Amino acid sequence: MKPLEAIALAAILAAGTGAWAADAPDKPMKMDEPMHGEMKKKSMKKGDVKKAAEKKDREMKPMIEKEAAGSAKK
Amino acid sequence: MKTMETSLAVHSGKLIRSVERRLFLRQGLSLGALALLSGCDLTDDDSVQKLLTGMSRWNDGAQAWLFNPNKLAPEFPESAITKPFPFNAFYSVDEVTLVDGEDYKLELEGLIRDKKSWTLPELYSLPQTSQITRHICVEGWSAIGKWSGVRFSDFLARIGADTSAKYIGFKCADDYYTSVDMVTALHPQTLLTFRYADEILPPKYGFPMKLRIPTKLGFKNPKHIMSMFVTNEYPGGYWEDQGYNWFSGS
Repeated sequence: MKPLEAIALAAILAAGTGAWAADAPDKPMKMDEPMHGEMKKKSMKKGDVKKAAEKKDREMKPMIEKEAAGSAKK
Repeated sequence: MKTMETSLAVHSGKLIRSVERRLFLRQGLSLGALALLSGCDLTDDDSVQKLLTGMSRWNDGAQAWLFNPNKLAPEFPESAITKPFPFNAFYSVDEVTLVDGEDYKLELEGLIRDKKSWTLPELYSLPQTSQITRHICVEGWSAIGKWSGVRFSDFLARIGADTSAKYIGFKCADDYYTSVDMVTALHPQTLLTFRYADEILPPKYGFPMKLRIPTKLGFKNPKHIMSMFVTNEYPGGYWEDQGYNWFSGS
């Protein structure tokens, strides 16, 4: 990478860091609280998304790995 | 002369009515499914769910078949941008997930030839493009914003993604997950975005990256993407697995 490109990228990254620092949240997500937004059902909690993501990952990962391994052999 | 708000409301109304027409069609199909249920035991949740899921998947296929990969979503002038652009998630804005940009690496899995992970400087060095398009939420509101990033089809070509595969799935730092069809992923307006309004994406809009798909509803536009995978196995998504239409596009 050329020095000028490196400087430009560093500036972009620094700007990004500044952006998120200025917009930092003051609290961690409370998983046992009801979800926000209009898409939810009344009983849904914020932590339901994490549980569903973990379950989905357990289901999908072996299939994706098997599929990719099969594809690599071709 | 119409005010900007009136104009936006009218335009948004047309879009929502267009979505409503599709919903009506879908619900009509669902009524068909309900008629089929007459022979089922309505207390048997599994059989009902399987049938409705089957109908929903059929709807996805029909919508994918109707999707025109060459039809572009409307683009707007800077003056039409909605300020402030609304924040929307399953959590409040003060609970937004913070991703450390310095340590960040985009992970790649599945049917991809080069699965090397990507740092932000590497992603930022790719050719970038901008678009001002309307984000339409399934909740019934819409807003116009400016996003910039790499054309997703270019990124997929660069990593050697198998573009004959059916799906691309996304895992996000806030635990949200979703997936899209390959035809939409290759649409010229589908962007892997790193900037909003010419500034690095702030956390509330999805730092470090958001997939922006103006041809789909907002919940198909994942934020805080940490990894993606290409597959022929149906990946679903958080809201999609709760019964929301998977395709959700025009």
